[in-house]
Amino acid sequence: MNMFWRELTAGRKALIIWSICMLLLVVSGMGKYTAYSSGGAGSDIFNQMPSSVKALLGIGTLDVTVMSGFYAMLFLYIELTAAIHAVLLGSSIIAKEEKEKTAEFLIAKPVSRSAIVTSKLLAALAQIVVLNLVTLISSILMVSAYNEGKDISGEIILFLISMFIVQLLFLTLGALLAAGISNPKSSGAAAAGILVGSFVISKITDLSDQLAVLKVLSPFKYFSYNRIVEGDGLNAFILLLSVLLAAGMAASAYFWYGKRELKL
Amino acid sequence: MSVIEMNHLTKQYGKSRGIKNINLSVEEGEIFGFIGPNGAGKSTAIRTLLGLIYPTSGSAAIFGRNCTEHPEIRKELGYLPSEVFYYDNMKVIDLLKYSASFYKKDCTKRIRELAEIMDLDLKKKIDDLSFGNKKKVGIVQGLLHEPKLIILDEPTSGLDPLMQQKFFDLLREENRKGATVFFSSHILSEVQKMCSRVAFIKEGEIIKLEKMSTLQENNYKRINIEGVSTISKEAFDISGVSRLEVNGTAASFIFKGNINTIMQRLSETELRNISIEEPDLEEIFMHYYVKED
Repeated sequence: MNMFWRELTAGRKALIIWSICMLLLVVSGMGKYTAYSSGGAGSDIFNQMPSSVKALLGIGTLDVTVMSGFYAMLFLYIELTAAIHAVLLGSSIIAKEEKEKTAEFLIAKPVSRSAIVTSKLLAALAQIVVLNLVTLISSILMVSAYNEGKDISGEIILFLISMFIVQLLFLTLGALLAAGISNPKSSGAAAAGILVGSFVISKITDLSDQLAVLKVLSPFKYFSYNRIVEGDGLNAFILLLSVLLAAGMAASAYFWYGKRELKL
Repeated sequence: MSVIEMNHLTKQYGKSRGIKNINLSVEEGEIFGFIGPNGAGKSTAIRTLLGLIYPTSGSAAIFGRNCTEHPEIRKELGYLPSEVFYYDNMKVIDLLKYSASFYKKDCTKRIRELAEIMDLDLKKKIDDLSFGNKKKVGIVQGLLHEPKLIILDEPTSGLDPLMQQKFFDLLREENRKGATVFFSSHILSEVQKMCSRVAFIKEGEIIKLEKMSTLQENNYKRINIEGVSTISKEAFDISGVSRLEVNGTAASFIFKGNINTIMQRLSETELRNISIEEPDLEEIFMHYYVKED
């Protein structure tokens, strides 16, 4: 538990900053809703846009003039932010002992490397939960402040559950990279690179249905926004697969951190 | 029971670094010195012993157990790494408390005592400390849980002579209370003062393992003389003399053995000047190599 608390204390400041950024993103994003929903000329513009432009803007086939569609569009950026946080957190929390040369201090203590990974992953998990809750609460509050139509709190909760899974995937991916790559300085870059790659893939798959098979490479595409907006909820099978994938990556992180020669 | 055991311990890194086939055992209550020049493999041997890095072949154990398979055995271990880096944003006291939290006992009193002895300000940020003071944090960190085995990698570098003295007193005290001490150094004299046995390591191999008492009997002296007239090489070519160099009226050599023998020989020569000093470690190593060849 001592290592868990130590990680939480060490990550406190960064978590506060991320939370504030997320809050500002939700607040400023929702502030634009009136421009989208004012109707008339506004909605005509969206109707006339070519579908590829809509896809790139994150609108796709969503109806952004109603709150649920608008939130789904904004959610793309929320989710991207949370994913960046998760992947960087996952890689840095594992790699920092080597980067800051404290690994020798830590691994000479009477703890196994698995116990170290467990504490770190739990501390990171707690942090992504906090960021998720900050997003959830600020979204519900901001949406209800602007929403004049039907209440979408249920949809927001589903969105945030899907975001949690995406956070989990990127967190374990970051941890796996940091555990496996022997140069502690390059794991963060590798993690961020993969994240950008998967985001680009998610945009490409929006452009053409023929590329749908690529969706498997991008956690951003695991949960369909349209499905949530239309009230069909989350696909339980994909949910299960995603959790298994995250568990698999976490297990590999344990394996590599235990096996690899740490940089002392 | 042997507190430390290394059996055919080998660790290869790349081409040249590492350790080769080290066999060593340290008994309970010993103060053991591990001595060798920089890059000889002292840190590698210690890290492999403690399971911080994994051996290429062979095995190592403390208290009869392998550290990788039984990490909990390190509860009885106090370890000071050669280079101390600690979580920068922490205050000294926070770091020490964090370190203590791994041992499941109340170390507050011992932290205060040690900080007082080592003259360490607990309220400062570790960031702001000098190298020597960081070293002190490392020492307190290694001793605060009153471990039964204390392993220190080059503990005195960065400490001023007064602190070194206090530190050695502290180690003697811990040893008197029953702790086994194992420390590495590249300075022979500090090992000579402290240790009951000493192992010499060079290029990854143990080249000599000796009791301190034997070493002291074989007192090594570097002797430089300047004669009134030309010195003949034969005059000093006696047993115990090595690395003899004669250059006209000047001569220098290393002597190992009974001091009286060489004093008699010296008194037969008319001298203008003489210096007798402790040879540095490199010279003793060279001596071993010359003997082995």
